[in-house]
Amino acid sequence: MELAIGLILGACALGAGLAMIAGIGPGIGEGNAVAKACEAIGRQPESKGAVTSTMLFGCVIAETTGLYALVIAILLIFVAPGRLVDLLVTTMAGL
Amino acid sequence: MPKMDRVVIKETKYMAAWVLILSAVMQAVFLVIGQWDYTVLLGNLLSATAVVGNFFGMAVGIQRALGKEEKDAKQAIRASNALRLFGMFAVLALGVLLPCFSTWTTVIPIFFPRVIVALRPLWDKKMGEEEHADES
Repeated sequence: MELAIGLILGACALGAGLAMIAGIGPGIGEGNAVAKACEAIGRQPESKGAVTSTMLFGCVIAETTGLYALVIAILLIFVAPGRLVDLLVTTMAGL
Repeated sequence: MPKMDRVVIKETKYMAAWVLILSAVMQAVFLVIGQWDYTVLLGNLLSATAVVGNFFGMAVGIQRALGKEEKDAKQAIRASNALRLFGMFAVLALGVLLPCFSTWTTVIPIFFPRVIVALRPLWDKKMGEEEHADES
């Protein structure tokens, strides 16, 4: 029983850590987008407003990927272990 | 404190308005299905504030980065992104752990910005057509 609970907790923690790998991508992507926007604004300063506005919403889309991963990680850390251990205990009690 | 760009304020207002509308829709859905209580409202308030704050933080970070060199801009945005991700982690952890916040209404508003951006072309097209009709 203890081994099964340990496995559940370990697997949840490992899953959360793996999910957060997706959090690296948005930072790199947004960084590249902003660097290119700097270049574009340097070339055409009058288009600053339009470039910033478009890039803001592009960055929102990029950021959502990281937030999906964050939500999955949070649920795996704080919600899943309790529910899975409860399920295990209920199943074992029924046997 | 540096002066806010007009675009940053405009887009943050746009995002805040849509988050408010979508939050109202979500509250209505919870009311209709009979699951509404104060935790639903508190969770929604916490998460909606965090989402708008996150967008504002991103917009300010971008505004500052635009005035820098390309390489510095990349670094600044990565730092800003990491900081905001930690902030969102803290808010989500609070929402999930404390019993006074509903888990579902804390998590769902995190996805509102994606929905808002997906709907934006439709809205912009409609506005553009109306402006075009006014001009003609």
